[in-house]
Order: sequence, then structure tokens, then C-alpha cells
Amino acid sequence: MSSWKNSLLPGDWLTLLAGGVLVAWLFATLWHAGPAGKVRIRAGDAVFAIHSLDQERVIEVPGPLGVSRIVIHDHRVRFAASPCRNQYCVHQGWLARAGQVAVCLPNRVSIELSGEKGYDSLNY
Amino acid sequence: MTPSTIEPTGRDHEVARLAAFAIALHLAEAVVPSPLPGVKPGIANIITLYVLHRYDFATAAWVALLRVFAAALLLGNFLSPTFVLSLAGALASLMVLALARHLPGSHSGPVSHSVLAAFAHIGGQLLVVRLWLIPHAGLAYLVPLFAAAALFFGTLNGLVAAKLLTSNAKEEA
Amino acid sequence: MPRRVMASLVSGLRWLFHWHLAGLLLFALAGCGRAPLHQSQAYVFGTLVDVSIYGEPEHRARALENRILQEFQRLHDSLHAWKAGSELDRVNTAFAAGKSVDLSPELAAILTDATALSERSGGLFNPAIGHLIALWGFQRDEFVPVRPDPAMVQRWVSANPRMADIVITGRRAFSRNPAVRIDLGGYAKGYALDRAAHMLRREKVHGALINIGGNIIAVGRHGDRSWRVGIQHPRRPGPLATLELPDGWAIGTSGDYQRFFELDGQRYCHLIDPRSGRPATGVQAVTVLIPPGPQAGTLSDVASKPPFIAGVAGWRAAAAAMGVRHAMLVDAAGRIHLTPALRPLLHFVSQDVQLEE
Repeated sequence: MSSWKNSLLPGDWLTLLAGGVLVAWLFATLWHAGPAGKVRIRAGDAVFAIHSLDQERVIEVPGPLGVSRIVIHDHRVRFAASPCRNQYCVHQGWLARAGQVAVCLPNRVSIELSGEKGYDSLNY
Repeated sequence: MTPSTIEPTGRDHEVARLAAFAIALHLAEAVVPSPLPGVKPGIANIITLYVLHRYDFATAAWVALLRVFAAALLLGNFLSPTFVLSLAGALASLMVLALARHLPGSHSGPVSHSVLAAFAHIGGQLLVVRLWLIPHAGLAYLVPLFAAAALFFGTLNGLVAAKLLTSNAKEEA
Repeated sequence: MPRRVMASLVSGLRWLFHWHLAGLLLFALAGCGRAPLHQSQAYVFGTLVDVSIYGEPEHRARALENRILQEFQRLHDSLHAWKAGSELDRVNTAFAAGKSVDLSPELAAILTDATALSERSGGLFNPAIGHLIALWGFQRDEFVPVRPDPAMVQRWVSANPRMADIVITGRRAFSRNPAVRIDLGGYAKGYALDRAAHMLRREKVHGALINIGGNIIAVGRHGDRSWRVGIQHPRRPGPLATLELPDGWAIGTSGDYQRFFELDGQRYCHLIDPRSGRPATGVQAVTVLIPPGPQAGTLSDVASKPPFIAGVAGWRAAAAAMGVRHAMLVDAAGRIHLTPALRPLLHFVSQDVQLEE
């Protein structure tokens, strides 16, 4: 199995180059402006779980006040129930776009949609 | 490239054997689990390329489609999504091969054809997946991975096909 | 089909098999490559703290984050407005009793600075109205909707507690007005940002972005680009606009969506107008962008309050009084008002942005 290079004609090198450029371009564009595909759930200081949005799922996250219930449905995610008093997190509703965040400060649970969001941190 | 002395029956015989071999490769690949779902080397396409260069496009198309249908019947997934994806990939790559064979032969060989066909193959499959199976944008994230796999395996398959063609040509010379 | 073709095909397949494995391994490895960005979140200061450090080795980034969080915890414990035992609580108790009290040099400097800022704001930024804030129920981690007795509200407004009532001489302080009760809710987070940024600069960190409950300061850059921040939409999840936050700049927002309660369809936010003693209305959010300076963080926290309380009519003057050139106000109808300096810096994300000139 020697002289594999001899099987490559000049046009083949060109094709390979073009293919390489295409793949690099696909990585650059699609992996940069990717839509939200995953939700990162944090409890306290630690990442509790990372789940794909491509599923129907209910996740129960324990916090200092009790259990926050997070629901993944139809490629979206939300706080469905929370033991906190003000329920801001539940009122945030569905999150679907990369970078969207909902936080329950009292129960120290946060959900964030991963993906390129166009900024590093959110001012609120 | 054109073997003028082969009898029609002999030629049919060899094409049938090549088709059978392609089906066997297809089946072998189907039962070996892939570490990345959806990424497969597509080694049966080596046969398609070999036939395209040794015979003609019509024969290559016949071998490729026969393989898709026969493998589906043997695996019992005829008309299932797996079959439709397989067919979509084969049709897309055949369409591209039909165009690619007009590239100047002195400058581009089986490797070019293989890489182009591999891109077309995954392109056709992704189109079907997007339109029919997973109609949301999350799929876009996987496209670069599939394309990279197509480039990699397309090159390897093309090299093997080229090697086969040259070793065969030497033998006949 | 010639046997040799078969033989070389088999040999070629064996070769392929090895390369396929190598290829898959490459894919797996490619997925492991990581950007030199270290990000962590913690709950300190009664809110979410988000620290991003760029271009430092993992262990160093971790050590720096721990130092920052420890510093924040120290400030939280010392400046807490309603936790018994904090230094500020001790001071408030003494002020209410008309007694003089010892101050740490740090708290003395903070109170002096907060007094100057309160004067500049014409009293709209007034950390001395802790009694009113408590009356509206916002001095609790988990507050409940309340409707305070109007007579009580009037009583604390008439008592007119001002920062200028505090007299500091050396390490001793007393208040001429026993109604003064200090709540540094609109100051402490910004002050903490300045402390953290100062520490990171001393440590020659290449790039860091610190976010305390929404207030952000930038140190250095994110590799070869500036840090970027999003401004929260006051009524929807996700950002209203994004902008670059160059080295040393800070950004802060006061919003009616951060801490609020609703009672009979009426929204009561945590920003109390010292003139009426009631939660400010008519504004959804005010954002200020502060250029580099030793107090950029503090100003990003403080300077958004006066324009918010001033409301749509007086917000530009209130921002100018605080020395703020880059400011945005979202009014009760969701219309966006901008200062000319801020406008070219914003990239609006929302489609239906209504700009009011």
C-alpha cells in the first residue's frame, strides 16, 4: 500500500482544498451562530446538569428552599414550579434562544440556554 | 478504460459480482455500530466509483441503487426512514457523479469524484432529515461534523478506489 | 472480477479500517479543545455573581475568583442593611439612638462618598431612607406584597433623612437626624465591582468581566476583542440590545423588573422616590454606561437611580447631574429614550424597537 500520492491528480488536490475550505467555513458559521441546543442548569455554585432541548423532560433541581421543577418541551425550557415566594423564575416563561437566562435567586437555581449569544454577560 | 474484448455475459457477470460485493460491504457497515450516530465511512461507495471508472455512469447508478434496495430488503428496513435516507444519499451522490464525470479526466480522478459524492451524499441525507425527520434548527450544529466526516471518508474511499483501478489496469496491461 | 482486485480491495479495507479509527479519534479530540475562558457563578451579596476570566491558566483563574468572591462576602457581611451584627447595622442602631459610633476607615470613606453622590443627585439617590425601604418590605430576602400605612410613609418623608445629616469626624460618626437609616443597596454592588477590578489590575490579569446582580465592569479584553454585554429587555427574556464594554468601562441598570411585587394589578418596584416615599413609577428601566475611572463600578450602580426616579420628564437632567453622558431609559410604554452619546454604541436585538428622540 505505497505511493498513495500517485493516485492524486492535480484536480484532486484542488477538490480536497475546496472541501477543506467548505468544512472550515461550515464550522466557522454554524458553530458560531448556533441556535440554542442545550440548557445548562445550575444549582448553587455548581452546574447541576446539561440537557439537550431535543427531548421532552422534567428535571427536579434541589435548592435551599426545596425542589425547582424545570420542564423541557418542544425545544424550549422553563421553570414550571418553584418553592420561592415571588415566582419571578416561573413568570419568566419559556426560553428558546441562545443566551436566554432565567434565575431563581432564593432557591439558587438558574437555567441558561447555551450557544453563541452575541455577548459575554448580561446587564440587568 | 473501456474493455472492448469482454463478452456481454462476462461483463454482466462481473458487474453482478461487484454489486453483490457492494451489498455485502453495505450490510457489514450496517451491523458494525458507529461511535458517532450518522457518521459512516460508506465503503460500499468504493464499488460505485470503481464501476463508474471501469464501465460507465449507467452501470454505476444501477449498482448503487440495486445495493440500496437489496440491502434494505435484506436488513428488513425497506421504506423505513433508514432506507429513505440511504436512497436520498445515493440519489444525491449519483446526481453529482453524473456532473463530476465531465471534469477533465487528466486532472481529476476517483478521489475528486469520491469527495464530491460524499458531500452530496450527506447533503441529500441532511436535507431529508431537516425536512422530514427533525424539522428544527438544532441539526445545523451537526452539519460541520458530518461535512468533515464526508471529506475524510470521501478521500479515503477515493484513494482505495484509485488504487484498485490502477492495480487492475496494471494487471490487464 | 480478477482475484487481484479482490485481494487489494481487502488489503485496502484493512488500511481504511485503521484510518477510520484514527479519524474518529481526531473528532473526539477536536471536541475537547477549549477556549481559554474561565467562567463561574456564585450566590453572594444576595444575588448572582458571574465572573469570567480570559487568558489565565485554570488554577490561577480559580484562585482569583475565590479571592473576588471572598471579598464580596466580606463586603456583604459588613454592609448588610438589615442583618443584625453587620457593621452597618451597628451604625444604624447608634444613629437611631442619637449616639456616636466608631467607623472603620472603609465605611467612613463609603459614607463620605455616598453623601457627595447624594448631593450631586439632588437627593434622588438617598441611601438614608432605609426606614422607607423597610416599610415597603424590600429589606428582606423574600419580601411579601405589603401596602404600608400612608401615615407611616408620610412620617418618614417628613422626617427628611439625608446623608448630609451624618457628621463624621475622624473615626467617629453620629447623625443629627435619628430618622437616618442607611441602606447601601444602590451603592455596595458597584463599590464591590471597583474593588474586584482594582485587585485584578494589580494582578495584571489580561481580561475579566465581573457581573454582580446585573452590574458589570470590564477589565482588559476577551483575547483579541473587547468584552460584549447584553442589556436585559425589561419585559421579555433575553437582551434588548448589546454593546461592547471596553477596558475599564462599567454598566448598570435600574429596573422595575428586578425586585418588585404586584398588588391589585399595580406594580411596586424596589426603587423608592425619597420625595413621595413611594415606589417610583413611569419607567421600566434606566441603563448607564460609565467610562473608565477609579469609581466606574460605583457610578454604574449609583447613577442609574436618579434618572429612574426623576422619570421621563427629568431623566436627562438627572443623568447629566451625575456626570453621565451614556444613558438609556425605557418608559412605561416600552419606548426607548437615548442620550446622543450612547446611541451609536448600541446594537438592538429586539425587532420592534421604538426609539424616542
